[in-house]
Amino acid sequence: MPTQPLRRICCVEDDDDIRRIVRLSLERIGGMTVDLVADPAVAIDSMIAFRPDLVMLDWMMPGIDGPALLRKMREVPETRALPVVFITAKASQRELAELSALGAAGTISKPFAPKDLPGQLRAIWNALP
Amino acid sequence: MNHSAESEQAAPTAVDASAVLAERVSHLYGQLPIGIAMTFVIGALATYELWEVQLRQRVILWWGLVLVVTVASAGLYFAYRRAGERTHAKRWLSWLAVCALAIGACWGLAAAVLFPLNSSEERVFLTILLVGATSAGIVLFAASWPLFAMYAASIVGPFTYVLATSGSRLFTEIALVLPLFYLVSVGVAYRLHHVLVSGYRLRQSYRRLTEEHHALNLRIEDQIQELVDAQREIQASGRKLALYSERAPIAVFEMDSNGTILDMNPAAETVFGHAASELVGRNLVRTLIPQDETALDLAWWADFAAQRNPEAGIRTRCLRRDGLEIVCEFSLTPLVNEAQDIVSVIAQCRDITQQLEAERIKKEFTSTLSHELRTPLTSIIGSLQLINTGMFGELDQDAAELALVAERNAQRLLDLINDILDLERIDSGRLSLHAEDVALDELLQESVVLNRAYAERFGVRLRLQAEPPKVVVHADRRRLLQVMTNLISNAAKFSPEGGHVELSASCTNARVQVSVEDRGPGIPQEFRSRIFGRFAQADSALTRKKGGTGLGLAICKRLIELMGGEIWYADREGGGTSFHFKLPAAAAPD
Repeated sequence: MPTQPLRRICCVEDDDDIRRIVRLSLERIGGMTVDLVADPAVAIDSMIAFRPDLVMLDWMMPGIDGPALLRKMREVPETRALPVVFITAKASQRELAELSALGAAGTISKPFAPKDLPGQLRAIWNALP
Repeated sequence: MNHSAESEQAAPTAVDASAVLAERVSHLYGQLPIGIAMTFVIGALATYELWEVQLRQRVILWWGLVLVVTVASAGLYFAYRRAGERTHAKRWLSWLAVCALAIGACWGLAAAVLFPLNSSEERVFLTILLVGATSAGIVLFAASWPLFAMYAASIVGPFTYVLATSGSRLFTEIALVLPLFYLVSVGVAYRLHHVLVSGYRLRQSYRRLTEEHHALNLRIEDQIQELVDAQREIQASGRKLALYSERAPIAVFEMDSNGTILDMNPAAETVFGHAASELVGRNLVRTLIPQDETALDLAWWADFAAQRNPEAGIRTRCLRRDGLEIVCEFSLTPLVNEAQDIVSVIAQCRDITQQLEAERIKKEFTSTLSHELRTPLTSIIGSLQLINTGMFGELDQDAAELALVAERNAQRLLDLINDILDLERIDSGRLSLHAEDVALDELLQESVVLNRAYAERFGVRLRLQAEPPKVVVHADRRRLLQVMTNLISNAAKFSPEGGHVELSASCTNARVQVSVEDRGPGIPQEFRSRIFGRFAQADSALTRKKGGTGLGLAICKRLIELMGGEIWYADREGGGTSFHFKLPAAAAPD
């Protein structure tokens, strides 16, 4: 379990509306600091600049999808150790198993409840080694 | 058939002895009237001839005796005729023996009583009568020599004695000759008897042969008729088969063991765009299947021809005459003769190109539905939830109510999408269950916790049985909770306000039964037959009021069946409905 509480979140999500909801949920309800990234191509630079505690990745994005971005992050020293939580509309067990095989810390399925989102992320954070 | 087979086995020589006896008895009785008439006439003649002499009383007595015997014999004769039967032949023969003995005795008595008293002339007359009567007996009783022997003995015996004691030398000599005459007569009767018996035997054999011949003829006629019928049936089914093949929408090829096309139906012409005349004589694999195709290539065919087993569901790409590539599903059946050689191979083939395309589109649609509908719903539900938390300040009362309505309906839309996706996954066989050991009591408690808030919205309380059985089921935990949620939410929706829903479980014969009971209005009669169907809802007005997609029970039924169980409902005693499902237990209670 990490020693410090979860404060800084980087969210990579191509949908404007969902980005807005994530920001409202995490800032207003969770009291966290949020960095929103719309373009996955610049996500790693943004993460290096922002230095988040945890990263939320959308599974399906144009250009680079979530799993591809995760693999890229693992190649960059500054982002290699960051815990990643996937947001996905897919719900099948096979796909969820695929995500944990990639090394995801957890998954949050769409649609998620904004009032529960900070709690869900904290639960995943607290479960980290 | 069996019957005639039995009669066939009985050899013609093995004649039924009782039938021969019956024939002989019938023959003897046939002669009897002659015997009776003869006795009567000759008796009358003797009486007339001997009348003049003294001892008239004796003659009358004797004549009386002759009358009694002839009348009795006639009575026997008519009794036999009236009986008209050929059974009890032995008994009738015995009676005839008595009769023969009686007639013989009459003549014997004539010899004993009348002979000594008469003059020489009348004695000669009597002698001739007696010898005549004895000789006539040969013909009368030829069918049974013992009868004749008895008859003749009863005449010759007393007569010989009378002659021997007459004192006349001539008569004494005759007395010496008489036994010889008797023996010769019996010998003749014996020979005649056997001639007649073999005659009757022959007749019997002939009759039997005729009967068998007749039966055989009938059998042959039957068999010919059967053959003709069978031929007709074969012709009819041949025509039917030809018609099936001709009119079938499925392409049918007949090939030899190398895959060379021998015949094909019009549907095959349509599917592949070739006329039959273009394909007959050519190899199916070489002509219709692309060279790089592996599902049905020449190597596969060689293996198939060696194995000679029917094959079905072989999907392969095929080439049409116009160069278009289609996907076909083949079923191949080798027709094998008794020597295990392939006579021909029947291939049935269906163009499934469009079906595969439809499946692909459906799958794509489902995937799109899943992603493209969920993403906007995430924004809608998320936004409404954030508004409804009150974090942006209190709304006007109407606006607050409308925001709640919007959130509730967005949630309903999401439920519907999820249910449709679930059903689609189940029906297409893509739903994979993740079975694990689930403690039933914990699962029930969890389902109560999860659904308590929902039930409270309807003013309904959930009541779990005090001590649910501690039993483990091997099932998909998440899906089982889904089933419980569906059943509990249904029960809560249909319960009266202030009512309660009861949950219970039991375990018998390694099967676990879970029950969810409500005290609602029960299931309307007209709705019962389609309760587990899609979009099944008894009252659409109620749906609008209380929510629900109408897919819940359909999903429950499929899920429970996928987990090897069954689900059903019953009217609850005292009103309401109870839903039950059974699952196989993984372990016995501790």
